[in-house]
Amino acid sequence: MRDLPSGSALLALARDVLISELMPLLPEECRPDALLVAKCMAIAQQEAEAPAEEGRAILRKIELLCGQGVDVLRRFAHDLRVGTFESSEPRDRAARAILRRLTVAKLRQSNPEFLAANGFDQPGGVVGRAKPCPSPVSGKRSTP
Amino acid sequence: MARFLAVASAARTVEITALSPLRGGALQENWGLDARFSGGALGGEQRLVLRASAATGVTASLTRPQEFAVQKAVFAAGVQVPEPLFASEASAIFGKPFFIMRRVDGIAAPDRITGDRALDPALPAIAERLGRELARIHTIRPPRPELAFLTPYAEVGPNQQIARFRAYLDCHPTPRPVLEWGMRWLETHIPPPAVPVLCHHDFRTGNYLLSGAALTAILDWEFAGWGDPYEDIGWFCCKAWRFARLDREAGGIADRTAFYRGYQSESGKSIDEQRVRFWEVLASARWAVIALEQTDRHMIGGERGLDLALTGRRATECELEILMLLDPEGNFADA
Repeated sequence: MRDLPSGSALLALARDVLISELMPLLPEECRPDALLVAKCMAIAQQEAEAPAEEGRAILRKIELLCGQGVDVLRRFAHDLRVGTFESSEPRDRAARAILRRLTVAKLRQSNPEFLAANGFDQPGGVVGRAKPCPSPVSGKRSTP
Repeated sequence: MARFLAVASAARTVEITALSPLRGGALQENWGLDARFSGGALGGEQRLVLRASAATGVTASLTRPQEFAVQKAVFAAGVQVPEPLFASEASAIFGKPFFIMRRVDGIAAPDRITGDRALDPALPAIAERLGRELARIHTIRPPRPELAFLTPYAEVGPNQQIARFRAYLDCHPTPRPVLEWGMRWLETHIPPPAVPVLCHHDFRTGNYLLSGAALTAILDWEFAGWGDPYEDIGWFCCKAWRFARLDREAGGIADRTAFYRGYQSESGKSIDEQRVRFWEVLASARWAVIALEQTDRHMIGGERGLDLALTGRRATECELEILMLLDPEGNFADA
């Protein structure tokens, strides 16, 4: 029902004008703030364009793991805090997969440059991973 | 201010010739202060820095007079810091407590340091020098009567830090499952207790000055406190502080070998990589919480600002790093 161009298309256009036409005219000391403005516009645009389906799909995965209820994300966070999934290898694996998907989905919206710098969505795949960390490190496990 | 400087330096008179804000310092105000001293300890023209508290801060920051005391201790230990000169608790002079130090030339901008290819040949030596400076900081150990305000290590060890992070998340409106998962790993992998030392607690690219290829100062001591020496090593190497060069694991300026070599040569101790790993994970969790706290200053602290508003978004970068550190075999293909 809305007129075109869409709100996100307008944001993208405004950001392009800011960077390519207005920034060169700004005094040097104003440019860092102008870059932050451009960053805010990019986040707003990416969040507006992000398919709501991805968020719902992640929540459904969490519900499968933790059960349905209100504020399922908070319940998931609490279960992770107390190690609920650690006694079951399949559930632990499922929890980790959700964490990865949740994190990548958020970064795709707010910081795709960081994902790219880490090799995500790039030819060759994820780079810069740590070597596997033996478990535990050099100390004692302080909780069961 | 001129009267304060005159009394503090035993000058006959002091004339302030310039006072202007300096860029940088997300949490504190730094002002360039030029002054002409007649007689006294600083007779002549002086280029100084006035460091005062911003309107709001994050937890764990020292007061400016406390930071001044820390800076005096490390200066006396031979660490490359701007010489601290005077401090005042009184609000009547500048509206808030502050301290004065000498101004040192150099750039701190991390994107320039990590992104300027002309600097590349000098960076391994700078990393090694930073390792030596860090080891020198860690020669300061409790008890130190002049640093009695620092919280005892028993109250700020890893267990206490994790508890503080969790208490913060309990009050935060948005659940953070990845941070919770990372903190669970941390609490179940705490290394044996360390002999506490003075830690900078924000020792990283962005908090030192380079003048050309020379290290001229280590800055921003507001988080200093007793801690495990590996806290600083893990913090320096953590991905959040590599800026333009994620592949250079020592602060975005070199590989770890150069930094470790400097630390080991000054301290006479070898580096325990597993211990670094623990503190590197904790560094990512800690920076995530600090980033969220920074945005709280904008959201609920009454300190409006684009930079503050955006900083909280960086918490998700830390979460990705926690996942990559702790689950290196994890398959991101479906994410």
